[in-house]
This record gives sequence, C-alpha cells and structure tokens, in this order.
Amino acid sequence: MSDIKADSKLDTSGKCCPMPIVETNVAMKKINSGEILEIIATDPGTLTDIPSWCERTGHTLMESGESDGVIQFYVKKG
Amino acid sequence: MKSLAIVVREDGYDKLLTPLAFAYLQGAEGTQVDLLFVNWAVRALTEEGAKGQVIQGEHADQDGWVRQQVEKAGLPPDIYDVIQALKATDNVNFYACSLASSIFGVNEDNLIPEASGIVGASWFLNEKAAKAEHCQYF
Repeated sequence: MSDIKADSKLDTSGKCCPMPIVETNVAMKKINSGEILEIIATDPGTLTDIPSWCERTGHTLMESGESDGVIQFYVKKG
Repeated sequence: MKSLAIVVREDGYDKLLTPLAFAYLQGAEGTQVDLLFVNWAVRALTEEGAKGQVIQGEHADQDGWVRQQVEKAGLPPDIYDVIQALKATDNVNFYACSLASSIFGVNEDNLIPEASGIVGASWFLNEKAAKAEHCQYF
C-alpha cells in the first residue's frame, strides 16, 4: 500500500487494451495539473503502456507496483 | 504521435478489432486518426454492414465466445458501437474508398453518419497517408 494520497481513482480491473489507456486519458482530463490519479489495472499490457503514456503526455509516474495480479499506478498530472 | 493513417481492407468481426482498437488508443490520446475502408471492409461503414460483421473461416464457430471476451475487456461487443465510441473521441475520421463503395454497394444513403464521406483513394493516400506520421495497413 502506497503512502501517496490520490485525488482521484480509476479502476480498470478486468478490462484490457485499449480500455485502460482510453479511460486513463478521460480520467486525466477531469483532474487539475498537479493532482494525482491512482490507476488500478489487471491488464499486464499497462505495465509498459502507462509508463510510456506518461512519458509522451508530460505526466509523472510517481509510483507503481504489482501485487497478486493487481497493478497500481500513481500519476501526477503535468 | 500527432497523426496516424490506417487503411482497412480486411472485414470480419475479429479482423476489424485491431485497427479499431489502435485507432481508439491513439484517438483517446489526442492523435488525429484517419481510416480509409477499402474492399469488403467498406461495408463496415454502413449500419447493416457494421452490425453484420461476424468471424469468418476457421474461427467462425468461436464468434459468440470472442464477443463475450471483447465485452469483458471493456469494449462494446458490436462493431457499430465501437465506431461510435471512436467518433466520440473527436479525433477519429472514417472514410469510405470510392472504388470500394461503388463495387460493394456503399453510397451516401447507407453510409453511417459517423463516416466523413466517400473519398478517392488518391486524396486519402496523398492528403492523409503521406502526411501522417505513421501509416498502417490491415
């Protein structure tokens, strides 16, 4: 469990590509710059997709982790 | 990526999923995506054709199972619903090739409203594909 406090949470559990990235884009548009989005995913593709998406879009991947097939990302909006 | 052009020639429910998923990914991210439907695939730009897409050939008996998996993945299980979801990103344009439209029975009357029109292949190749950062063929 992370100590990071998220401003918003997106749970994509059970969904697969392209939905986690599609829904992350939508969720990120709803928060303000500097705020943190917590993303929960079970699609292993997000392990590469989310860090790469952050790099391209100017957001900061603050922390990520995986436990029992559940992947957690904390992304600060740029 | 700022722009992506995709030429779709293979129809069939399963064969349309990948180009549509790629377009959805990029459209959601803000990439300008232009898709040209040619050959049999142009019929996917009619309501009847989009809703009538099925898995063909050796995997035909798995059509129902694949649709369940698609729905489980979070995508609408119907091709027309996927097209509408892509259009809702405001970054995805669908074009019907004029030659394919003529051959396979697509016209302005049955073209879905989500499509931007029936266009010449030369226009698409020069104005969209050649100018796009990346071009894909399915």
